[in-house]
Amino acid sequence: MKHAELKSGMKIIGIILLVFAGTVATHEGEFWPFSIYPMFSQAGNPWTRAMVLDVTYHDSEEIWEIHSLNERSAAVISLRNLGVDQIDFSNFVSKTEHWSESRKNALSTMFSNDFPDGSRWMIVKVRGELVQEDSVIVQIQPLLLLSDGEVMSNPLLDNSHYFIEEE
Amino acid sequence: MKWVYPIAKGLFEPNRENTPGENLFFKLFELFILFYTVKFSFEWAHYTQFRNAEVVLPLGIANYIDVSIFFDNYLSFLIALAILVIAIVAFFRKGPKWLYMVAMLLFHLLYVIRFSQGEIPHSQNLIGLSLLCFAIGLIWYPDKRTMPRFIIGSILFFIGLGYTSAFVAKLIGTGIHWFDGRHLWLWISEKSIDILSREGVYHPNFLQSLALNSVGIASLILLIGWFTEFIGFTLWWHKLRPFTTTLLIAMHIGITLTMNIRFDAFVIQLILIGYPWYKILDIYFKETPAWVARTL
Repeated sequence: MKHAELKSGMKIIGIILLVFAGTVATHEGEFWPFSIYPMFSQAGNPWTRAMVLDVTYHDSEEIWEIHSLNERSAAVISLRNLGVDQIDFSNFVSKTEHWSESRKNALSTMFSNDFPDGSRWMIVKVRGELVQEDSVIVQIQPLLLLSDGEVMSNPLLDNSHYFIEEE
Repeated sequence: MKWVYPIAKGLFEPNRENTPGENLFFKLFELFILFYTVKFSFEWAHYTQFRNAEVVLPLGIANYIDVSIFFDNYLSFLIALAILVIAIVAFFRKGPKWLYMVAMLLFHLLYVIRFSQGEIPHSQNLIGLSLLCFAIGLIWYPDKRTMPRFIIGSILFFIGLGYTSAFVAKLIGTGIHWFDGRHLWLWISEKSIDILSREGVYHPNFLQSLALNSVGIASLILLIGWFTEFIGFTLWWHKLRPFTTTLLIAMHIGITLTMNIRFDAFVIQLILIGYPWYKILDIYFKETPAWVARTL
């Protein structure tokens, strides 16, 4: 490799770097395959994920109560067995700010092929946070019930949980 | 720009002679990149066709076009098929030299179609970045003879940059106390919910139990990982590369054990590109195989 080739090699890398910087700077750090790899950059913040619980044989009054992960009695539905990506599902549930009919239908469609007749599946949000500086608490908040092709909201939660206003 | 020269020297090793082993390794590495490109393409196409419902998070070019039009009628499979055909033709250097660039644009499109559901995964970034370096090298690098050295060097440059930039993102996002072990507790609990949701069951492993029982051990795990990210840029110098690569692989194993996040293609690529495998190939190949020489 000659000196001129070294120079043109670094020049090309420099141009890619400029494109890299321009695209990630204008797209919140992500323009695949360019990324500033921001995952885990903000440490210590509370988190929210989602799960599906099988509440088919559970008391209809109790299934809506907020409870801790340790108090969970309903079995967790394995999303891998349904062919659904659990991260996609979690983001779909936790990032939805307006639970419109079309958004509820999209959620229902996600499971429609695998939903056993007569079953009741509860979509729950799971929240974790650091408390008293030395422990993590994880709480389960029931959000939507899938049953007989219907999607029901939690009667114990007010509308602000389903239609989050922008500040 | 004198400071660029040591980096260029580390990346491209201008004083090293081109060998049959280097040429063969280059084509095998290209095959590896294409295998994963095609594999990811069909996996994404399959998921898109059967699971994607609405655009939740537009990424990349999806900010400008409505990618939901590709959710049905097997359009995502058509894109994957086009990538497969291009990969085969371009690997044998048939057709125009911009074919890999077309494959790259289609690969980006397929990524933003598939990952429009909220998840932003990074485990496929290195494959995408490598395909881009192949595309750019084939079009713009002037000398075909030394092009393999440029492509491998540019991939190494962006891998090193990626790790160090992840270090900086943490420093800016949280501060110097990022490695506080309680942060790892939160992430372990978060990832445990992902595993519980995916599998239906979850049990912490030995390393997770160790970290959860001692804030000191949890902090030490984070500190070692963070330091390893910081030195990512030392991949640019060939003498340091094997040592940095080994530390990065160990860090990825640590991430898998503590947070259940797997980077298979990422780690295999690091193993391939981080060590001088051509030296072993040179023992067995005294001449560049004819098919390799034809398709460089």
